[in-house]
Amino acid sequence: MEIVRPTTLDDALAARDALPGADLLAGGTDLMVEVNFHHREPEHVIALRRVSEIAGWEGRRIGAGVTWTRMEKGPLRALAQLSRTVGSPQIRNAGTIGGNIGTASPAGDGLPYLAALDAEIEVASAGRGVRRLRWDEFLVGVKQTALRPDEIIIAAILPEVMPVAEEFAKVGVRNAMVISTVSACVMRMPDSTWRIALGSVAPTVIRARRAEELLGTTAAPRGSLLAEVADAVAAEVRPITDHRATEAYRRHASGVLVRRLVGRCAA
Amino acid sequence: MEVAFKLNDEDRVVECAPHESLRTVLRREGMMSVRYGSDTGETGAAAVLVDRRLVSADVILAAQVGGHAVMTVEALNTGPDLHLIQSAFAATGAMQSGYSTPAMILGALALIERNPDPGEAEIRDMLTGILDRETAYVKPVEAIRRAAAVMRGEHPEPFGPLIVPPLTDGTHPAVLDPDDPPPAGPPSVPRLVPSKDVPDMAVVGKPEVKVDAVKLAKGNPAFTDDIEMRGMLHAKVLYSPHAHARIVGIDDSDAVALEGVHAVLHYKNTARIKYASGGQSYPNPHPHDQVSFDDKVRYVGDRVAAVAAETVEIAEEALSRIRVTYEVLPAVYDERETLLPGAPVVHDEPDTSHIHDRERNIVHHIAARRGDVEAALAGADHVYEQTFRVHQVQQCPIEPHISIAWLDSDERLVVRTATQVPFHTRRMLAPLVEREIKDIRVMKPRIGGGFGAKQEMLIEDIVGHLAIATRRPVRYELTREEEFVSSRTRHPQTITYRTGVSADGTLVAQDMRVIGNTGAYGTHGYTVQTITGLRGLTSYNAPHKRFTCDVVYTNIPVPGAYRGYGAPQGEYALEAHMEDIALDLGMDPIEFRRKNWVKVGDEMDIAPHLGERAVAEEELEEYPKVMSNGIEECVAQGARAIGWHRRNDPAWREPADRPHIRRGLGFAFCMHGTAIPFLDMGGCSIKINDDGTFNVLIGATDLGTGADTVLGQIAAEVLGVPLEDIRIYSSDTDVTPFDTGAYASSTTFISGTAVKLAADEVADRIKDRAAKMLDVDDPTSIDLGKRMAWAKDGSSVSLQDVALHSLHLEDQEQIMGTASYVSPESPPPFAAQFVELEVDVETGQVTVTKLVMAVDCGVAINPITASGQVEGGMLQALGYGHCEEMVLDDEGRTVNPRFGPYWIYRSDDTPETEVYLVQTMEDSGPFGAKAVAEIPKDGVAPAMRNAILNATGVAINDIPFTPERVWHALNG
Repeated sequence: MEIVRPTTLDDALAARDALPGADLLAGGTDLMVEVNFHHREPEHVIALRRVSEIAGWEGRRIGAGVTWTRMEKGPLRALAQLSRTVGSPQIRNAGTIGGNIGTASPAGDGLPYLAALDAEIEVASAGRGVRRLRWDEFLVGVKQTALRPDEIIIAAILPEVMPVAEEFAKVGVRNAMVISTVSACVMRMPDSTWRIALGSVAPTVIRARRAEELLGTTAAPRGSLLAEVADAVAAEVRPITDHRATEAYRRHASGVLVRRLVGRCAA
Repeated sequence: MEVAFKLNDEDRVVECAPHESLRTVLRREGMMSVRYGSDTGETGAAAVLVDRRLVSADVILAAQVGGHAVMTVEALNTGPDLHLIQSAFAATGAMQSGYSTPAMILGALALIERNPDPGEAEIRDMLTGILDRETAYVKPVEAIRRAAAVMRGEHPEPFGPLIVPPLTDGTHPAVLDPDDPPPAGPPSVPRLVPSKDVPDMAVVGKPEVKVDAVKLAKGNPAFTDDIEMRGMLHAKVLYSPHAHARIVGIDDSDAVALEGVHAVLHYKNTARIKYASGGQSYPNPHPHDQVSFDDKVRYVGDRVAAVAAETVEIAEEALSRIRVTYEVLPAVYDERETLLPGAPVVHDEPDTSHIHDRERNIVHHIAARRGDVEAALAGADHVYEQTFRVHQVQQCPIEPHISIAWLDSDERLVVRTATQVPFHTRRMLAPLVEREIKDIRVMKPRIGGGFGAKQEMLIEDIVGHLAIATRRPVRYELTREEEFVSSRTRHPQTITYRTGVSADGTLVAQDMRVIGNTGAYGTHGYTVQTITGLRGLTSYNAPHKRFTCDVVYTNIPVPGAYRGYGAPQGEYALEAHMEDIALDLGMDPIEFRRKNWVKVGDEMDIAPHLGERAVAEEELEEYPKVMSNGIEECVAQGARAIGWHRRNDPAWREPADRPHIRRGLGFAFCMHGTAIPFLDMGGCSIKINDDGTFNVLIGATDLGTGADTVLGQIAAEVLGVPLEDIRIYSSDTDVTPFDTGAYASSTTFISGTAVKLAADEVADRIKDRAAKMLDVDDPTSIDLGKRMAWAKDGSSVSLQDVALHSLHLEDQEQIMGTASYVSPESPPPFAAQFVELEVDVETGQVTVTKLVMAVDCGVAINPITASGQVEGGMLQALGYGHCEEMVLDDEGRTVNPRFGPYWIYRSDDTPETEVYLVQTMEDSGPFGAKAVAEIPKDGVAPAMRNAILNATGVAINDIPFTPERVWHALNG
């Protein structure tokens, strides 16, 4: 295994171009576990921690190298909420939004936020320059992305129109679970439309479109509408049964969680 | 590759491989405080500061820190003194094993730098990534709070117990006034309820700082892995991928041929010598159903072969080159299914004897009874029958099993190992490596927690075989995954009670049937289930009682000893059963128990009929009796602390502002044992030094519990010196006296009495000489205290002068004493366990908000370490009841052998805890002490279950109380 430690984006992209099979290392918290377990024995690793161009966070543009610790203290409420649930301080000090996007786990903590916002992922390569993909164009399957072998994730790009209310929460065995059985992000937009995204309940993070439609532009949904939304979410998610929970429980918990978050976001 | 970085303020350039973690490189650089807990960053034992931020060194490449500043706790160790944070950890009892303490101290340092006055939530958040299986985080949080205060220039009060006046006369229940609040104080401080029967002492009963505090706070090399041996090889073990299979062939030629491989061992080249791995007294209970390497595997994770090689990587590569041909057999996992006709036979080998019914997988059939249960049940006004299932969990010491073996200059086999049972290990190892006991030396350094998993000769035979085969030192450390799967676990059981009760609520008969799942091997299988029976039938001691148990083989990872032994299983079922009976009878659950629980003078009549040394006679002339019982005071203190009156208050149980929440309170009565009577034995020898201080040699094995400190306090009390004048050494089979080891809640009571007896002998000899020196006729009139020997007339001579006189001046002799102790008694500690919780009735999520245990452990020799035992034990027990569970797939593979998906409690979701130490004077114990180590494991799960019942009206019989289980129960 060989490690390349570029300090500029150009050098990183050049390395990526020269070593198309190389693994990208941001915080290292995902890749190192695989290396330690010998699940992966990469020949080449490009460490991105020192690349200053991806380390910044300006307005709507969150650099791929921004850590959970920074997002936890940032101005975006739901992003801060979810960052706080990531691992532990050690993991949050090392782990980055770019790594989370690149790993593309169905349980990726940051992904429901990006999905709810319809955020874009900005990638770059030495040969083809920069391109942007919407989150659902980028996240294509369980741990599968549209990232090409010569590309590097540069940033998450948030939309110009941001929500007026946003909430994130998880359901787990205990109140502060690292790995959740369900996670959800709910947003109410300035035009009173709703955004609902869920993690851990499908091969990728998903949007609960049917539930969003049901809510329409109701700013303060109540009673039977909330119950309908919960039912719609339970029907829309596609969870599996594993040792953490059964499919039936995940469907139920998804509905309850979204209903509560909608309640918290209501006008 | 080369990496240049700052290490503890010095520039370093280190040579490392690109894939090496920072942890590996730091340890190679001599930073032994950076410890192994996992490969995933999940335990935090390897947390260090990089640019003053906490980072897990096991999930960061050494290459990544190039140009950065790395700090380990060694940076603070500039002289003999402790840093203020280290001092605070020592003063508050925040270190038990101390294995992960360096990481906590670094985290605290960085936190206080950022915020000189961190709040509790912030401290807990900082600690979330440093798992602690020992302290429940209570005292580490307090340590950091106090350290921050001192660093701000404040002067907090000295840390010590909060004295609470008793609420009862010791025998009658208290009438509590709901308006009378419990005493206020931080949760980390033990509430000590003194007894008038207990005299005030100089050292015993005092909050002394642990004798190993300095080395633990500084992260000094003290643990098994912290030595470096020239030419040391690394072992790895090939584990079975099948739950049940015969090994038809094994071809190791490619592995042997690999450069750097020094030995490959398996059934074809290792002697077939039968043994039982449980660390228990001679003769080890049957069956002896293991061999070092077998031609059959019985669970996923069973041993197949072992390799010793120059590096871990080469050893792993060698494992992948061993070609094993398996004939896969059907497997069975459930203890009920293994009894069914047609189930695969787990132990069909002819050379294992003493299997009760081989074809039905029944290892042991245990039967014990008093009176006539059937007749009594037939005549009872009410008969209740209820079945419970308890599941499989793992001990999870943060330090996994690790052993290093070598041949010394006399060619004797030396094993430095993380064990609770060094003497048993030496005796059990000898036949396997075909050596005499005299040619083996076992050393126990500091241990990073054990909880029973290390009451086992688990890997010492592997390093022993390999060291002998290679004539090189060999080290073997389990990975976290191996620790989960291939070490030991808690026995799952199916428990059925039938209980007969008269109309007035008096228990007349109790019949307990248990199927105990001992997995692939019978280690501890017999004795764990006998404790289930003993504890399950003694708390209420019905006049007619019967225990019937089948201990069965299956193909699950091997259960063994786990803190509490079989008691948490039995007491879970019992306390749930008793709650339901009380409610059915319309009685108050505590009142119903009070009517029936054992009282002072009661005979514990099933005890002698169960266990390793069960008596053959049907009837004995005399039975052991309960001689001290502080349960009434425990119930009163605990009930007041938890606010027990609220359990019937609808406004509290159904908070108006949170419609989906129900609150509840639960109680469990706990009773445990103190050591195994007529069996557990500990020795001690004490000698005086020139300066009037003492060396105390003990075989007892402190695995983080504070045993060395408590034993030192006992010696200091007798000898009239401060604790700092006692130098404790434990344990080394060449040097220290024998001790059965750290298990069965025995060390304070058994080893402590041995220390007291040896100290008495030394004291007598000091007094003899002092009497001569002071010209006093009667040496028994001399008192020892304040480092002096005092005559009645007030004249005195210092112990230093006595020592110098005896060693150098006149009638020279070594003043020393040796004693050992075995007890005919096992005086039970008692406790009242209370749980407060909330149930989210929509999701089934349970949040435990408060744990209170009031425990009668006799006299707590050290209230700080005793309360630490209770705090940590309760949190482990909460994990058992709430969220910990080993999950096997259909092929018998453990799917969650990591701390991510196997959920032990973290600092940020730990409930508030309060510990009451209710003194009683137990005359059979040293200075009145009984045990405290295991009883905190007994009551949390049933009290939690009963609190869920109180909150929701739903009774759940199986644990753990995962959201899904609770949700299903709530929805019928």
